[in-house]
Formats: sequence, C-alpha cells, structure tokens
Amino acid sequence: MKIIVAIKQVPERDAQIRIDAAGKWIEESGLQYALNESDAYALEEALQLKEKHGGEVVVLTAGPERVGPTIREALAKGADRAIHIDCADLGSRDALGVARLLAAAVNPENPDLILTGLQSDDLGQGQTGVILAELLGLPHSSLILHVEKTETGFTVKRELEEGWFQSIELPTPAVLTIQSGGNKLRYATLMGIKRAKTKEVRTVTASDLTVDAAPVVVLERVALPQKQKSTQMLPGTPKEAAAALVEKLKFEARVL
Amino acid sequence: MLPLTATMAEPQHFSLVEKLLLVLLVAASAAGFWLRFRVVLGKILQSKPDASFRLFPIGRRILDFLWEVVLQAKVIRQRPLPGLAHALVFWGFCAFVLVTLNHFASGLGLGFLSPAGRFGRFYFDCAAVFALACAVGILGLFIRRFLIRPKWLGEKLSYQSGFIAFLIFLLMVTYLAAFFFTDSDPATRILWWVHTLALLTFLPIIPHTKHLHLVLSPATVFLSRGGFSQIPPLAGDEDFGLIAGTDLTRLVSLQAFSCVECGRCTEHCPTANTGKLLNPKEIILGLRGYLNDLGPASEEPLLGKYNPQEAPFQCTTCGACEFQCPVGIEHLPILIGLRRGAVNTGAWEDDYGAKLFLSLERGSNAHGLPASERDKFIEKAALPIFDGTQEYCLWLGCMGGYDPKGREIIADFARVMNYLGTTFGVLRKEKCCGDPVRRLGNDLVFQQLAESNLEALTQTKTRKIVSICPHCVRTIQEDWKEYGAPPTIEHHSEFLARFADKLPKQSRGNKPKSLAANSRTRDPREAGANLPPLSEPLPQPPLSIGSDETIVYHDPCYLGRYRNVYKKPRAVIALTGQLIEAPRNHERSFCCGAGGGLVFLGEETGERIGQVRAAELVSTGATTIGTACPFCNSIFRDALAEKGEAAPQLLDIAQLTARGLPQIKA
Amino acid sequence: MSGILVVIEERDGRVSRGSWEAVAAGQKLAALTGQAVNAVVIGAQTEQLAAEVAAKALGKVVRIEHPLLTVYTADGFTLALHQLIEQESPAHVVFPHTYQVRDYAPKLAARLGQALIGDVTAISEGPVFTRQLLQGRLNGSYRPSGNGPCFVSVQAGAFRADEAQAGTAAISLFTPTIEPAQIRTKPNERFRGAAQTVDLGAAQRIVGVGRGIKDAANIPMVQELATALGAELGASRPICDNGWLPMERQIGSSGQTIAPRLYLALGISGAIQHLVGIKGSQCVVAVNKDPDAPIFEAADYGIVGDLLEVVPALTEAVKAVQQ
Repeated sequence: MKIIVAIKQVPERDAQIRIDAAGKWIEESGLQYALNESDAYALEEALQLKEKHGGEVVVLTAGPERVGPTIREALAKGADRAIHIDCADLGSRDALGVARLLAAAVNPENPDLILTGLQSDDLGQGQTGVILAELLGLPHSSLILHVEKTETGFTVKRELEEGWFQSIELPTPAVLTIQSGGNKLRYATLMGIKRAKTKEVRTVTASDLTVDAAPVVVLERVALPQKQKSTQMLPGTPKEAAAALVEKLKFEARVL
Repeated sequence: MLPLTATMAEPQHFSLVEKLLLVLLVAASAAGFWLRFRVVLGKILQSKPDASFRLFPIGRRILDFLWEVVLQAKVIRQRPLPGLAHALVFWGFCAFVLVTLNHFASGLGLGFLSPAGRFGRFYFDCAAVFALACAVGILGLFIRRFLIRPKWLGEKLSYQSGFIAFLIFLLMVTYLAAFFFTDSDPATRILWWVHTLALLTFLPIIPHTKHLHLVLSPATVFLSRGGFSQIPPLAGDEDFGLIAGTDLTRLVSLQAFSCVECGRCTEHCPTANTGKLLNPKEIILGLRGYLNDLGPASEEPLLGKYNPQEAPFQCTTCGACEFQCPVGIEHLPILIGLRRGAVNTGAWEDDYGAKLFLSLERGSNAHGLPASERDKFIEKAALPIFDGTQEYCLWLGCMGGYDPKGREIIADFARVMNYLGTTFGVLRKEKCCGDPVRRLGNDLVFQQLAESNLEALTQTKTRKIVSICPHCVRTIQEDWKEYGAPPTIEHHSEFLARFADKLPKQSRGNKPKSLAANSRTRDPREAGANLPPLSEPLPQPPLSIGSDETIVYHDPCYLGRYRNVYKKPRAVIALTGQLIEAPRNHERSFCCGAGGGLVFLGEETGERIGQVRAAELVSTGATTIGTACPFCNSIFRDALAEKGEAAPQLLDIAQLTARGLPQIKA
Repeated sequence: MSGILVVIEERDGRVSRGSWEAVAAGQKLAALTGQAVNAVVIGAQTEQLAAEVAAKALGKVVRIEHPLLTVYTADGFTLALHQLIEQESPAHVVFPHTYQVRDYAPKLAARLGQALIGDVTAISEGPVFTRQLLQGRLNGSYRPSGNGPCFVSVQAGAFRADEAQAGTAAISLFTPTIEPAQIRTKPNERFRGAAQTVDLGAAQRIVGVGRGIKDAANIPMVQELATALGAELGASRPICDNGWLPMERQIGSSGQTIAPRLYLALGISGAIQHLVGIKGSQCVVAVNKDPDAPIFEAADYGIVGDLLEVVPALTEAVKAVQQ
C-alpha cells in the first residue's frame, strides 16, 4: 500500500508573536519551527497502516529550505522517502493554491491513500486535504481518528460534535484528514535519525509544477487580538459571581 | 603453654613421592583454576573495547586502588562490623602471599624463608597475628551469614560461601597450629598437607564462584570509569546503548564478573525497598548470567530473560548502589546504558515517556507548558534579564520557571542575592537542561537540548551560573561536556555557604563541628542518638523564629552522592534554625523518588518512595523539613498533603535564608 | 453574481443553533453589501425545516431535495449546492462553521475555483472577514479576490442566534441531479464512544475537584453541577489518593491529560502536576478560597469564595440559563 502523508512545518506553539514590518504576517526571524501537530498524527496513522499491511509511506511537504529538519524528523519516525516542494512564497498562496501544488506532486505517484492533518497550527484553515481530494477527483472524509484497510478500500472512524462518532466506508484511493489524538505518537529516536540520513528526499521547485498561483482569498493584514489572556476575577456574593460567570461562559467564552 | 621462642614448624624433608604428589596436585589445581578463569577472561577480553577508556591520569586510579582495595575503606565504612571482618580476612590473605609461596617452595625442597632465621621468624610471627585476625574475621562472617542471616545476602543460604569460609578458617587454623609443634612432629606433616589441600581446593573454586572477586576486583577498582555515574558517550553510528551481548564492553563485563553478591547495592536502593521489580544486584548478576550462558558475541536481548524490561526504568538514578559497591561496579552507566538501548531504538513504549520526549522535541521544558508561562513569571517577579554584564546567570530550570513552589524558591533566592549585592540576571530563553531525557537514555533529545543551550549561553556570554536545582547543576556541568564547554555552575547552597558570614543568623545555630562524624549514622535504629550539642549562644540577639523550631535536612541525591556537597547546605540551615539529621543522612540519604526522569513517568507501583522518605523525615519530630532541590520539595509537598495541618513546614534553604532578611524590599 | 446564500444545517430534524447564527451573519453581510439574503435547506424531506427558516427576514428559502441527500455525504451536498449556485449565482455563500461544513464547503469552493474563508469571527466593511490565526493569538483580515462566489463560514457564537431578524420568506423547491455512483462514501449510523471507561481525555467539559472540597460528603454537590453542565467529573491527586474518587479520574501529570472546551477547577490549588494536565483546556474557571492560589494564574475566570456556597449557586445559574 502506498500512502502519501502531506505535512506542514509551522512555527512552534509557544513562539513569541511579533507582527512583521508589512503587517501581513508575524516576524519569522528567530522563530523555531516544528511539525504541525495533526500532521504528526496523520504520519503516525500512516506508519501504523504500513506496519500492519506493508507498503511505503511517502511524506510530502511544501515550504522553503528550513523545512529540512521536519522532513528528517518524519523520515526518522519511519517514513520511507520524502518529496519536498521548494517554495519560498508559501505564505502568499491560499489554501487552493497550496493544494494545487500538492496535487501536482501527488499525481505521478498514484497512491492508495493520502493523509493530511486536520488543520495547521498557524493558519488553521483545515481545507488543504479536502481541496486536494477535489482537485484529484478522489473521495474524502475529514476529522478522522482511525483508519482500517478493507477489501474494497477503507473504513474510518470520524469524529462528530458532542461526543458522537461515525464510521464511514470509502473506496481506494481516497483522501483523509486526520484529527489529533487518535493515536499515541511515537517519539523520534536516535536510531531513526541515523537511518533517515540514507532515505531519499526528492526536491522539486514550485515553479516546475506549473500551477496557477493567483490567490482567490487574500490575507490583507494581521493584528493582535484586543484582549490578552488574563484572569477575570468575578466579585460579589456567590450568587452574583455565579450568575456573572455563567453569562461570561455563554457569551464571551462561548463554551456553554 | 606456647614458649616464646616457638616459631612455625614445617616438615624438613619431603619424600620424592610427596614431591611428585605435590606437583601433580598443584598442576591439577592450577588447571582447574585456569580452565574456568580462561573462559571468564576470554569473555571479558572478547567484549567490545571501551571507546572512551583512558588509562591516564593514573593518579586517581592509584589512589582509588589504595583507598578501596588496600585499605578496604568503603568495605569498612559502609558496613563497619562485617566490613572490618572482611578487611581482616583480606589483609590476612595479603600477609600470606609470601607464606604461601614459601609453603609450596619448601614442599619441593626449595623453601626460601626459614622460620629459624631472624627475618623468617619475624615474618611468620607477624603472619600469625594476621592469621588470628583472619580466623576471627572469617568466623564472624560465617556467623553473620548462617546464624544472623541478614536479608541482603539473599533468601537462600549459600553453602558455597560456607564451604569457602570453612576452607579459609582451616587454612588459618592449620597455620597457627603449626606453632604448637616442632618440625619433626608427625602432626606437623599432617598440618602441612591439610593446609596444602585446603589451598589447592580453594584455588579452582575461585573462578567458579563469586570469589572470583579476589582476582578481579582489584582490577575492577583500578580500571573503573571514575567520577560518579560517568555515562560513556555512544561510540559511532551503530551504538545505541546496551541492547545485546555485543554491546557489553570490557569494563561492563569485568564489573559483571566481579560482583561479590554482598547486596549492599540492593540494601540501599529506594526502588528495591519499596516493592518494585528493580534490584541492582540482580541487574549485575543478570548480565553475568547472560555472559556465562550466551557470551559477549550474542545478539540476544540483554533484557527479557535475565532481567525484566521494566526494571531499569524503575531506577531513580539516586546512585546509592554505585556509591556502596565495594568492588568498583558502576551501576549507573549500566542502568542508563540499558535504558539507552531501549529508548534510542524506540523499543521502549511508555505513554508518559513518549509525552516527555515529544514535549522536549518540540518545546522548551519538560512539563510541556508554553514558554510564555516562564516569561510571565519573570515579568511578575521582576527578575532582571541577563545581559552579559551581571556576575551570575540565575538558571531557573523547569521547576524554577514553571512550578509554583519552584518559583517561590527562585523569588526568595533572588531576594537573598539582592540583599548580598550580587548582580545576576535570568536568561530570556531557557530550554530544559535535559536531565530527565539524559537519565532515561534518549540521546537524540539530549543532544538537541545540550547543543541548543550551549549555543544560547555562548551567545549571551554567560560565564557563571547559579541554580537551585542539583539536577541542572549536574547535567550542565558534567553531561553537557559531551557537546561543548559549559560555563561554571554551582548550586545555591554552595553560593549561600560562601556568604554565610554576611547572612543574618536567625537563631542559636549549631556550629557543624561535630556534625559530620557523629551524625553519620549507619543504622536507622540509632536515630536521634547522635545529635550534636548546641553551641554557645552567638553575640547577636537571635531573631525569634519559634524557639522550638527544628529543621531536618534531606540530602538530595544529586547534591550529596553526585556532587559530594554535604556541609554547605547544613551550614546554611544552621544559620536559620536548629538542624537535626534524618535517620538516613549524608551519603545514606534516601531518595525522594523523583530522579531518573521518574517524576515525569506517572505513578509508581508498590509503595511510593517519596512517601516513605517523607514519613522518615516526619518521624524525626522536626517542625520543618529543609530541602535543597525543587524536585524533592515537590515530592514531599504531595506526600505531606495528606497530613494536612499536622504536617511540618516544608522549606527550601533559600526560603529559610530569605525569611531572615530584613523586610524592606530592595 | 449577487445576493447572499445562507446554508442551513439541521440537527435532529430542526434547524441548528449555528444555522440561526449564520442567518444573523448573512443578514449583517446583506446590510453591509446592500444585497438580498436567501437561505437553503438540504435533505430528502425538508418541508418542516424550510417552514422554520421561512419565519426569518429572508428573500426566499430554497428546499434542495433529493432521495440521495437523506444522509449527509460530501459528494451529495457538494453536487447539490453546486448546481444551485450555478443557477442562483450568489456573491456570497455563508455557512455555520461545523464539522459537517468543514467536510464539504472547501470542496464546493474549490469546485468553483474558490477557497473558503472559514471560522470567521467578525464581518466588517469591505466586506472584510476576520478569523483567528495561531490558535487565537493573532487575528487576520481576509478579503476575497477571485471571480467566483465568496464562501464564508462563521464561528459558533460569533454571531448571536437571537439577532436573526424575523420575517417571512417565500419557499421554493430545487431538485438537483445526482446519480448513485456519484456518492462515493458510505456513512454508517453514528454512535457514542465507549461508556464504560472514563475517558477524560475526550471530554469536552470537565469539573475538577481538589482538596478544597474538604469532605467526601461534599462530592455529590459537585456531581450535581457536573451533571447540569453535561460535564465529566475529575479530581486532583489527593482526592484520588484518599479514595474519594477513583484513580482513573485523576487529572495531572501522573493521571489524565485533558483538553476540554471548559474546565472548572474547584478547590484545586494549582500545583504544577495538575497544571500540566489541564494546559490543553480552552477555557479554565477556578474557584478557590485562597486568592493567591496558583490556579488563578492559569484560569480565564476566577471566583474567590467558599466552594460550599459557590458550587450550589453555580448549579442553579447553569440550570437557569439552559431553560
């Protein structure tokens, strides 16, 4: 079984956020980067499928040169080879543009299954996998926690709202976007890193892939949110405080 | 009655038959010895050479040899009575070298030391004293093993040991008895032959039993890695730790064969004492068993059959085992080596462990908390940022930066430094020093952390670091050396002790003059018997912090056994209150259970180590427990939580010191 | 292209609350752009749904009906909406940002050469759409720049369902052309997670109990609050050590790690072992009688007070708002 896992390198979760000079993104100098969290789960799911059914796991990523260590991390964890779409202007492409790049790289590979993480930790659109399926003309499902191979394709466990789940059957090939938390992630090991050194990383530049890069959605500018996270203490009698809290939870935090 | 002029009698003439018999017996005995010893030696030499072994500097090796082997210092100090008995036996053996050589030589008519001559008589008389001591010693050890039966020697009685004891006793008795006869007495010949047979029986037994330590342990002590918990760097791309026989190095094999099964390691192991699988003696004997059965070329896993896979992962790396071992076995590099083998290959599957590794792969601290939490603390506590101009960099560490109690300790220590006028700053960005992953054997993450931190320290031009955490101190000073040159770092107890005369004295502190000797109890039953006397009241009026306050100090493993710092924290505490000792103190301090990465690994099986130690500290009746490590503090905090209001206070030495400072804010 | 099309989602046969919020958002967008706003319901039998929606101030409500739309599939819904959009040519299509919408709206948008602007928290003059980046630490302003309709989904709670203006709308029927072979996925019945084991890690709402509860006899009071909230009960370590709650309910570094949308820490001081277990929580509320308890540093909302008084008051307030 050939599985392609599309991964993204994103700024580290507790990166310090400063808005860049143009006001369109954050200052990237001094940032540390890591593998996107739900992509790590996608990779884990792919590796488990390979361990069970044999085959090959190929990681695919688009980004500038700095994505190298993330590719090696994926190879260290067990992916067999990697395709790197060298793209210096990833940020200026929208979800459709990025998916087009990925689709162009995937096409010649003819995989049985394509996995992506549910959404990225930086932009959080959660669309790339779904769009990729559309561009490739493949069936898909999203928010997947578990994948099982069947005679005809796959049976997946999809997460629904409020603690419900659903199982869905799909043919092969298909695209699945993987939700965090479905598996226990494996840690990178010294042995894995050493073996990764001999694994193939094929680089193809974005311009080679001849896709339409004109954005249909533009991120005009970014700004820090008004409210910084600070503790709101609710004073008054227990009754007053309780009422105030419930009001806040319902309308401000929107968790009730 | 023995006339004063008596000397050792020996047969003056041996017949040809006797001589031939002697030659045959010696040959047989030597062959018996060599046949087995050759195998053991072979297994040791066929093991992988130790890539990082350096014979020089040789001074340390010679000193260790003299101290531990010749003077039997560790043997005696850590188990005084049995240790002394053993030392007597050992010195007896040493004294008997010439005696024995001469014994066999004379059997062939080639005796070179005559009891009649002046030097000969003197020598044999001295040897007699040793023989007597040796006999008493071996008798004592026999009684201990077979009548007293301490549990550390194992459940089963060792008849092998009994037989050897008998042989040694027999050797001494036959030697001493010869003083009561004359050369021509037939009894003398009988004694001579009994002595000979005893020796020749003993010789081949040596390599087949733990008495191999007679031959090996001097070498083991001499060739040891030195230091404490010296973890060797991995050797090359294919080395991931101790996985199979092929990974065992010569030093490890030598150590495995040297085990004398005394059980001192297990006796003091906090894990073995709280119902867990780990038993340090069994780890070493497991390796010995593996080498005996499978040899150093085997690819079979070391863990599994000879020791369960979980056992090494229950180790807190407290070092009590390595500290106690009288024959120079270094347990910690072995335990960590076994962990490395499982972790570096991904064979170790543990949810908590994976979470810890993933947290440190992606983030900056072992808790998996965002670094912004540390930034918030720095801001709130108004800690200055290190900019290269201050004298010290105050290292927060994962506890000082993120744990509420750790932060209190940092804040108090900062107050003390301000009071003393020491300039310091904290790093803007800090990553975990890597101690938990280092002790768990994850070399990949450790390397990443060490290199990243070393780079940051170089860039910020940090020269001196002070830390509240003994784990950070150890890891930064020793373990980072593998990847660069760390700045000097000291523990805050060392810092505070240096300024003892500038810190306010809070009560009638005791001068630690007799602290070291008297309170170094070996037997918990002696607790309380050795409290040092209160010294004269100091000239200044003391601050009245509860005149009946007593502070029991808990020696952290990584400050005490690892760094040999015992007096300084005590000196600091003595400034703040009346110090009392825990039943197990100084190098006998009982681990709190947090080390070795275990505090990040979820709940223990069996009794909780921290609770056992907390109960011991509470049992001293002290009103306060004094700690010098934020992990110990955290563990005891939990353990004491169940006692509620009745629990003693729990304070770090920084907090104890700070409370005596004038209340004016700097 | 003109007009705003709001896509309604059903929940248990009725219009979901998120859909009303989408209607409110659509109406706001209509006001900003001066365009008409319509709605669409999708399914096999949509009469009742449409009637509900038609009670709002909308131009019309279109009923997309087809037997192959009985259950949701990405293929089915995409095909159907695509055909309607070709016919209606809206300038904007507005969705509630639900799991279902995330599954097909990007596909639909891509089919039309567009990309969804998802999980929008505000709509302003332009129109400019605001959404959160970097896990809520940054806000981004988005503007469509393509030739097709602008697809937008709105975050739950960003617009108020009760602000969807009432009115009357015409209802029309639209039958899309869908062949069975075009539906490539086969969804099965939905099911609950395993009920027997306590999986705090998956719970969306959790109430945690600490030593401040003082007595095991007070735990039923907390359980009542948890039940009212539809939350799971968790505890800090001392509570489990004392046996007041089973070990599997322990939250912390040696117990379970949780990531609910709402976590209430009652009488928990906030030792690091506990903080580590709760750091994935979206919203943390702390109740403690000690104003200096470290838990407050980690909380979004805090109440300093006696648990025995605050908890019953909270239970009442929660029950009241759920009516």
